[in-house]
Amino acid sequence: MRKISLFIILISMSCFSQNKQLLYNFTSVPQSMLTNPGSDVNYNWFVGIPLLSGFSANVGSSSFSVYDLFANNGVDFNTKLRNVVFSTSRNDKVTLNEQLEVFSGGFKLGDWQESSYFSFGMYQEMDVLTYMPKDYAILALDGNKDYLGKVFDMGDLNARGELLSVFHLGYHKKVNENLILGVRGKIYSSIFNVSSTKNSGYFYTIQGTNNVYDQVISANGLVNTSGLTNYLENYSGNAQSDIMKKTLLGGNLGLGLDLGFTYYPKENLQFTASLIDIGFIKHTKEIESYRYKGYYNYVGLTPDFVLGNSNDILDEFNDAIPLDTLHTKYTTWRPLKFNSSIQYSFGDGRSSDCNCSGGNKIKYANSVGAQLFAMTTPRTPLMALTAYYRRQIFESLEMKATYTVDSFSAKNIGLGLSTTIGKVNFYILADNLLEYKDISKARSLGFQMGLNIIFPDKNTFD
Amino acid sequence: MNIFVENVIYKYITIMNKFLRITFLSVFFLSCSSDLDFEQVNDLKLEPIAVANLAAFDIKANQFVVGGVEQSLVGDVMDFDVFSDVDFSKNLSRVDLFFEFNNTINRAYNVNFYLLDDNNSKLYTIPFFVPANSGSPIVISKTEIFENTKLDILIKTKKVAFVITMLPGTPLTDASVGNLKMRSSATIYFLGQ
Repeated sequence: MRKISLFIILISMSCFSQNKQLLYNFTSVPQSMLTNPGSDVNYNWFVGIPLLSGFSANVGSSSFSVYDLFANNGVDFNTKLRNVVFSTSRNDKVTLNEQLEVFSGGFKLGDWQESSYFSFGMYQEMDVLTYMPKDYAILALDGNKDYLGKVFDMGDLNARGELLSVFHLGYHKKVNENLILGVRGKIYSSIFNVSSTKNSGYFYTIQGTNNVYDQVISANGLVNTSGLTNYLENYSGNAQSDIMKKTLLGGNLGLGLDLGFTYYPKENLQFTASLIDIGFIKHTKEIESYRYKGYYNYVGLTPDFVLGNSNDILDEFNDAIPLDTLHTKYTTWRPLKFNSSIQYSFGDGRSSDCNCSGGNKIKYANSVGAQLFAMTTPRTPLMALTAYYRRQIFESLEMKATYTVDSFSAKNIGLGLSTTIGKVNFYILADNLLEYKDISKARSLGFQMGLNIIFPDKNTFD
Repeated sequence: MNIFVENVIYKYITIMNKFLRITFLSVFFLSCSSDLDFEQVNDLKLEPIAVANLAAFDIKANQFVVGGVEQSLVGDVMDFDVFSDVDFSKNLSRVDLFFEFNNTINRAYNVNFYLLDDNNSKLYTIPFFVPANSGSPIVISKTEIFENTKLDILIKTKKVAFVITMLPGTPLTDASVGNLKMRSSATIYFLGQ
């Protein structure tokens, strides 16, 4: 039970770094095409088992773990909370990303001499990223009494969350022996979106002269929401049916593009790179935004003994910094992901009795490489560097081991296995394996698995 | 969408979700976890302490003279429904009101600060005596603490008033110099559970 609630907590506060370092370039898994449309993936045709072909979840927090807050160690919860808040910075983040492939498939175009492929599918994605609202947390824990002179940064509120479905169609082609180019078009249908990423303003209290304090609030805050208005007030519809409609292109729509390539300068040397989710969503339906903007220098009550025209401080405040509810369209950009890798392969992986003349798929049993990942965020981009080793253990079993350094962890070891027995491909990938010995202390966890049916590519005539 | 198709899709989703969850959790259960206690959330106590201005005024000596006639009694009533707000008041544990007078006029004053309800009835009075200035500036300060049952007085307060009575002394004229200044603040102790 404890683990289930832990899991729920992890999911609900989780940080999905979106770095799929195990899946990237793991070409025996068709879903690796979602991380690079120009992956060197070959098939005659494949189909993902609906809802089981691709599931991935990442949870993470750059500054604290579940253990830090909820350890049953006799320390008062409020002390632990204070320790967490005061040990984090405003740039620490909590992110969650979950993807569930609803359906997917692909087929080769033309005959055996051709080498261009179509792939398509639809997946649902949840994406949450929130920065630590540190100055707000300090105000909630301590108030301003002991912070005279401190300028509280209202920009510390920076969060976004979205649930969307993605329909995609990709094409990749072996342009020549050394180069594979790929492109994928996407249509996004946003089920709901909340974003508040461009807040600014400040609040300070200092010793005053004519007043006890000089107190100033300058606020410029905006929270955009779409797809939620129906549920905020008396909702009488069928939420399940609503979400289904929004999933099937009935939500707020957007367009996106993935680009990628694989290049072999030499037979055993490989470069890859991709840009994923160059795209935007236009929010035009069920939109409601809240704006909080203004400047207020608070002096308190000012009695007027001559004319009796004294001030009303609540009115004054509400006039100076009104809270407006708006219904204006807005556009959000999808988090743009950049992946690249370099890989060197060695060792003869062909079984000795094999006289196969074509196909270089199992030519090398071992590969080592490095990957770089970057993703845009409302502040500085997330970066991750990975070193990896890939090995074809049997013809039907491929393994990839990774070591990743990023802002969540400096010792993230991951392992992925992909097995193809007959036509059935099963893969399971998990990172931060060291943390599984005490999962409550993990700051991030990533997990992916899926099931496909693959009819292998035939590049000989038969 | 066709109801039948919708039902079939839901059924499939339910079954597949179950399968997915079982696989996912079985991997998850292979791991270990320290002893955790999520009930601790109920121990959460927020006890911030906020400081804010309450009121301030600055009356020049000659403002006590209107048309050559000395005004020995001045006052003003102001709306003040901050502490009576329910959401605000239920999380209050203590409020300190701090007042500081600075008198550079050669006259003494009695100043009363009244907490009033909606009907202008007095709920509480904080009195001050500010002596006359005869050379060096006069600074008088006082802190009034509202907690426990006394806090209820503040919560009932809808208006406040300052009433200033100038005590007899050397008459003031239009040419008189000096000021009677007051500044005050509130220190608010919250208790959120």
